[in-house]
Amino acid sequence: MSSNHSVSGEEARRHKVEGPQKHIVAFILSLALTIIAFAAVAAGDINTTFTYIILVLMAIIQVFVQLAFWMHMKDRGHLFPIICIVAGVFVVFMMVIMAVYWLWW
Amino acid sequence: MSAHGHVEGQLPHEPEKATLEGRNKILGFWIFLGAEVVLFGTLFSAFIALRHQVLDGPHASELFELPTVFAATMILLTSSLMSVFAVQAMHKNQVKSMIWWLVLTVLLGLSFLVLEIVEFNTYVSEGHRMNTSAFSSSFYTLVGFHGGHVLFGVLWISLLIAQIFKKGLTVVTAPKIYLSAIYWHFIDVVWVFIFTVVYLMGKVG
Repeated sequence: MSSNHSVSGEEARRHKVEGPQKHIVAFILSLALTIIAFAAVAAGDINTTFTYIILVLMAIIQVFVQLAFWMHMKDRGHLFPIICIVAGVFVVFMMVIMAVYWLWW
Repeated sequence: MSAHGHVEGQLPHEPEKATLEGRNKILGFWIFLGAEVVLFGTLFSAFIALRHQVLDGPHASELFELPTVFAATMILLTSSLMSVFAVQAMHKNQVKSMIWWLVLTVLLGLSFLVLEIVEFNTYVSEGHRMNTSAFSSSFYTLVGFHGGHVLFGVLWISLLIAQIFKKGLTVVTAPKIYLSAIYWHFIDVVWVFIFTVVYLMGKVG
């Protein structure tokens, strides 16, 4: 292996390897969102509709955090994964609405 | 690895994307995950539509115990972080620490499974069986299916650790490690919806 090549490889390595900070931040964020959701339910005496809104909000934020950081969706070149997941979520929304609508309205 | 001429002592940066095969695997895996979203969505829609049909069995708010669910959530969240660290160790070509992070991931996944089995056992002893009501059937199908995914992930990552011992970290094995981490995060994402929709909303009523 030529030394020239290994130097440029080393440079690229130093350039692009990301530290663990972002992932620890994502972890702490997920932790906080989880604790808020559980605390809202454990507190008990809050208005039911309000609790539902808190729960749904916390879940959606946490899923975005985890998709973006841990599944690398914020990185470049991830258009295709985003299309896949969005298409899946689209079908899921239709199914949930359909199932609830058919049975209860 | 004679088939990959440039791998001689040193891996390329981001070895999981270094070959066309690796990139294709990642692409295909995302199609699979899109299908998994739909699959879990069908189970969720059945559960959401049927969750109040308890017949003679216990209602969700009497059944679920939040401390157990909270512990399971913490375990799965931490194991997700461990697999992030495994991929980061892989990018730095530190095979030993990568293996340790993977072992931690597997151990946490196993303890999640143990907790879930104990939990289901308690529910069955309280008269909440698979055939008790529409609620219990859809509950066990949804949560059990997620547990099945965790079991598969544990087996898969264990086999990958064995393969790393045998073949080392190469451009062939690196995409597998990367994808197993993506899969593990996906399981964690599904669990976010399970603890929100099934357990917390069940507890609220």
